[in-house]
Amino acid sequence: MKIANLMKTTAFALAAMSVLGFAAPSSAQDTKSITTVVKISGIPWFDRMETGVTKFAEQNPEMDIRQVGPATADSAQQLQIVNDLVATGVDALAVVPMDPDILEGILGRAMDRGTIVVTHEADNQTNTHADIEAFDNSDYGAALNERLAQCMGEKGKWTTFVGSLGSRTHMQWVGAGEENAKKYPGMELVDPNNESFDDANGTYEKAKEILRKHPDIKGFQTSAGNDVLGVGRAIEEAGLAGKVCLVGTGLPNPSTAYLESGAITAIGFWDPQKAGMAMNAVAKLMLEGKEVTDGMDLGVEGYESVTVTPGAGKGLLIVGNGMVLVDKETYKDYLF
Amino acid sequence: MSSAGTSNKPAPGHVSASGQLQQRRGLGDLIAKKPEMVTLGLLIAICIAVAIANPAFLQPSTLIDIGRASVVTGLFALGVFVILAAGGIDVSFTAIAALTMYSITLLAINHAPNMPIYVVFLIAVAGGIALGVLNGFLVYTLRVPSLIVTIGTQYLFRGGLLAFVGTTWIMELPGQMGTFGRISLLEFETANGATVSLPVYFLILPAAAILTWWIMRRTLMGRAIFSLGGSPDVTARLGYNVKIVHLFVFGYAGALAGLAGIVHVTANRLANPFDLVGTEIAVIAAVVLGGARITGGTGSVIGTMLGVLLVVVVDNVLVMVGIPSTWQRVFVGAFILLAAAFFVTRQRKFKPAK
Repeated sequence: MKIANLMKTTAFALAAMSVLGFAAPSSAQDTKSITTVVKISGIPWFDRMETGVTKFAEQNPEMDIRQVGPATADSAQQLQIVNDLVATGVDALAVVPMDPDILEGILGRAMDRGTIVVTHEADNQTNTHADIEAFDNSDYGAALNERLAQCMGEKGKWTTFVGSLGSRTHMQWVGAGEENAKKYPGMELVDPNNESFDDANGTYEKAKEILRKHPDIKGFQTSAGNDVLGVGRAIEEAGLAGKVCLVGTGLPNPSTAYLESGAITAIGFWDPQKAGMAMNAVAKLMLEGKEVTDGMDLGVEGYESVTVTPGAGKGLLIVGNGMVLVDKETYKDYLF
Repeated sequence: MSSAGTSNKPAPGHVSASGQLQQRRGLGDLIAKKPEMVTLGLLIAICIAVAIANPAFLQPSTLIDIGRASVVTGLFALGVFVILAAGGIDVSFTAIAALTMYSITLLAINHAPNMPIYVVFLIAVAGGIALGVLNGFLVYTLRVPSLIVTIGTQYLFRGGLLAFVGTTWIMELPGQMGTFGRISLLEFETANGATVSLPVYFLILPAAAILTWWIMRRTLMGRAIFSLGGSPDVTARLGYNVKIVHLFVFGYAGALAGLAGIVHVTANRLANPFDLVGTEIAVIAAVVLGGARITGGTGSVIGTMLGVLLVVVVDNVLVMVGIPSTWQRVFVGAFILLAAAFFVTRQRKFKPAK
């Protein structure tokens, strides 16, 4: 027993030493590492982001670049992962926070230790060197509405869906949409800001009810990722595909069937692949001690001329123009 | 606790006071013995109020939409009713449904895309029974309140689903699972050219309701269930096998949850592993609004179905009535609170004397 234990310990020590032995020279050669931490690993959105991170790693073989994330959407698990990464001394972190508040403490400590911190989808994060957003929320909401107005012939009743009334970005999108619709006196907003809770079935029931209450409704503008699926199903089942317009945030793969049938007019999103590359590009610039300036080209599609403003904390807020709006004809370029 | 399930009718000659008292006793008796009549009254009152607020409510498509929307909630509610009647509670049924529906969809896609729909349902029911029996076994052997056990298993089932089975949406359902949800029982066109259809899967709900009624009212198991909810000690002394009753009620609720999961998938035409969990409170509220006591021993299938209709109708008329979405949750919450408080206080007030 004792000998076996001793042997185990020795083997472990040897293994640990060999790992350290390999790791030590590489850090001496000054290989910089960037680790991207996502909200959940294994869902299509962040799988797509990983393709961007991998692409960036291929373009920068001298760096150690990878993506990690918790198996479930759990901010505590994400915190644990960030904790471990900071403890092992990663040079730069690119984080998509599940809950920005929960990560403030550890990101602050990481910055104190000299780690570069870049975030995404967290424009209220104070402890970050730079937060990167794919687009300006008002521009996005207005663009969705413009596409809807075009489909509706600039007139008729329309309504809006948000994930929840507490979702700041969704409210910004529909708010900008309403503002845009004021250009067209023929467009009449009815029963706005329906809450979907990102549940396709609940959204379906709500959409059915709206179709019953307003048989002459012509358009829906939706916000949460599952909304287009629920409203699309209601429109398709009612045989109104092509007669009622639906423009909202959605993912290309899940929306395929409804885009093909015409129940969904167009979907808007930003490409997580490009966002992942942009985060890594900014992290790399900062590791090299370079400054990110207004109008700069990050070398990533949709981020060729970024707007740089002071962020919520001491860091920067970098906004790209990475909005993508696709319909039946164009969605095939973005299958994820 | 009082033995609420046992019959305790006041003697006929007992009610001989003034007319007013007689009426009050009448209402009390009604609520104590037929609480579902109150649910029905509430339902009718709401429908009249909505129809006055917006006459567009009065069209056949409303009825069909409500019928369709009741199926999944209704199946869950029947399971909860049986468990509540036995004096327990279950909050894990949505996780059972999510786990079975997603695993079976994945199984069908990867191994048997041409599986007939009845086989899909059979596997779902079997899976639901297995998970439900696990609940029952834990509740019985650990002697822990079923609320605690099922909170635990809800996390376990859902966590297992997301960690080991999958987290991605399945958009293309295999074979008959994809087409089953679209088969309609009846179909017609409204004035504006929209098609309204009642899907075939709607029939599952009345079938399950009749089966549940038969079990609860016509079998020895039904008696044992009500007896267990009324008084566990007496039940054991009467010679019922309390362990079997536990396994049965949780297994039965699991079976219904498995069924509900597949209906949810085929109706929605997508399998989303994040769906369903989070709706259990609305289901439990529906059963309580149907007159079942949270402390067990009472309730009826009719009441449960009326409670489900009440919750579904309230959920489906808010836009119709024109309540702004900021106020909808406030409204639903207040409604459930008021109605449930009404039931609980009435039951307490008019509970037959011990």
